[in-house]
Amino acid sequence: MAGLVPPPPTAPDTPKQNERVDYLNLPCPIPYDEISREAYMSLKPELFEGMRIDFTKGLNQKFSLSHSVTMGPTEIPSQSTETIKIPTAQYEFGANFLDPKLMLVGRVLTDGRLNARVKCDLTENLSLKANSQLTNEPHMSHGMASFDYKGKDFRSQFQLGNGALFGANYIQSVTPNLSVGGEVFWAGQHRKSGIGYAARYNTDKMVATGQVASTGVVAMSYVQKVSDKVSLASDFMYNYLSRDVTASFGYDYILRQCRLRGKIDSNGVAAAFLEERLNMGLNFILSAEIDHRKKDYKFGFGLTVGE
Amino acid sequence: MASEGRKRVAVGNDKEEQGLITRLSQSTVVQKAKGLANDGSYVAKKLVKSTGKAAWIFGTTFLILVVPIMVQTDREQQVFEYESQQAILGR
Repeated sequence: MAGLVPPPPTAPDTPKQNERVDYLNLPCPIPYDEISREAYMSLKPELFEGMRIDFTKGLNQKFSLSHSVTMGPTEIPSQSTETIKIPTAQYEFGANFLDPKLMLVGRVLTDGRLNARVKCDLTENLSLKANSQLTNEPHMSHGMASFDYKGKDFRSQFQLGNGALFGANYIQSVTPNLSVGGEVFWAGQHRKSGIGYAARYNTDKMVATGQVASTGVVAMSYVQKVSDKVSLASDFMYNYLSRDVTASFGYDYILRQCRLRGKIDSNGVAAAFLEERLNMGLNFILSAEIDHRKKDYKFGFGLTVGE
Repeated sequence: MASEGRKRVAVGNDKEEQGLITRLSQSTVVQKAKGLANDGSYVAKKLVKSTGKAAWIFGTTFLILVVPIMVQTDREQQVFEYESQQAILGR
C-alpha cells in the first residue's frame, strides 16, 4: 500500500557547511501545486464514513483491475446548519495501466460517474496530464489537461480546463533550500482571474511553505520531522475576503506495522486515520472524525486487499 | 362563649405565628441569603455543566488522538522485544 510507505525525501541534499553554493546547479523544485504536500499528507487523510473494501488484482505487470465497495451515510449539501445524511451503497470498477512512461486510470461508479486520468511523458522533460470526470447530470462534467515542463532548476505548467479555464505556473529554485513560484489563472466562464505566489523552504528536517493568492487566501504550513517515524505538521489558513481563519495541528506516525495520522483544528474537529498492515497485501483501515461544534461524528472502517 | 373565646385566642396565636414567619422571611438578611443561595446554586450548576462538557470534549478527543498512539507504540515495543528475544535464543 502506498500509504504505508513513507513519502520519499524531497529535501535536496544539503551541501556541506563550508562548501560554496553552486547557483548554476540548483536542484529541481517540486511542482507548484504540490508545494505543501508533506503537510497535506499528515493533515488531510482520506477520511470516510461507513465501510469500504478495496480490492486490486494485477493481471500482469502493467495492467490491473480494481473493485471497490463503499457503504455508509453520505452527506448531502444543504442550506441549514444541520447535516443531512442518507445511506448509500456504491460499487466502483476500475482499470489501471501503469507504465513508467504512460499511466492510464479509469473508474466507473454505479451511479454513472466516470473518472479518467492520463499521465504521459511526451519527452524527457515534457509530460502531459489529463483528468476528466463525466457524470450523467448536465454541467457537472469536468475536464482538465496540463502540460508540465521540468527544467534543471525550475518547473512550469500550463493548464487547460473546460469552462474556458486557463492557468499557468512556474516555480524556480533560488537557493538549494528555497524555491519560489507564481501562478496566474483565468476562468472564462465565471469571468474570474487571479494571481498567486508561493514559497517553500525545505531542509531534510523541516518544510515550511507560504502561499498568497489574489482570491484572498493566505496559507502557511510547517512540517517538522521529529524522527524517521514521527513528523508533526501544522497549517494556518486565512481568507482575507470571507475573514475565515483556520489553524490545524497534526501528527504522522509511521510504525513498522501501521501508519497513524491524527489532527485537530481550530474548528473543533479532531480526526484520526489508522492504516494497519495485517498481512502481506492486506490492510485494515480505521477512520474517525469528531466535530464537536456541529456534533457530527464520523467513523469508518475498511479493508484494502491486493496491490 | 368560652369556647368561642378560646377559638379566637387560638386564631390570634396563629396569626401572630404567621406574622412572625412572614416577617422573618421578609427581613433583608433572609432575602439576601436566599438570593445568594440562588445565585450560588445557579453558578454551581453552570460550573458543573461546563466542566462536564469540557471533560467530555477533552475525553473524546483524547480517545481519538492519543489512545491509538499508545496502543500502537505498545504493540511495536512488544514486537521489538519478541524479536530481540528470538535473536538471543537463536544465538
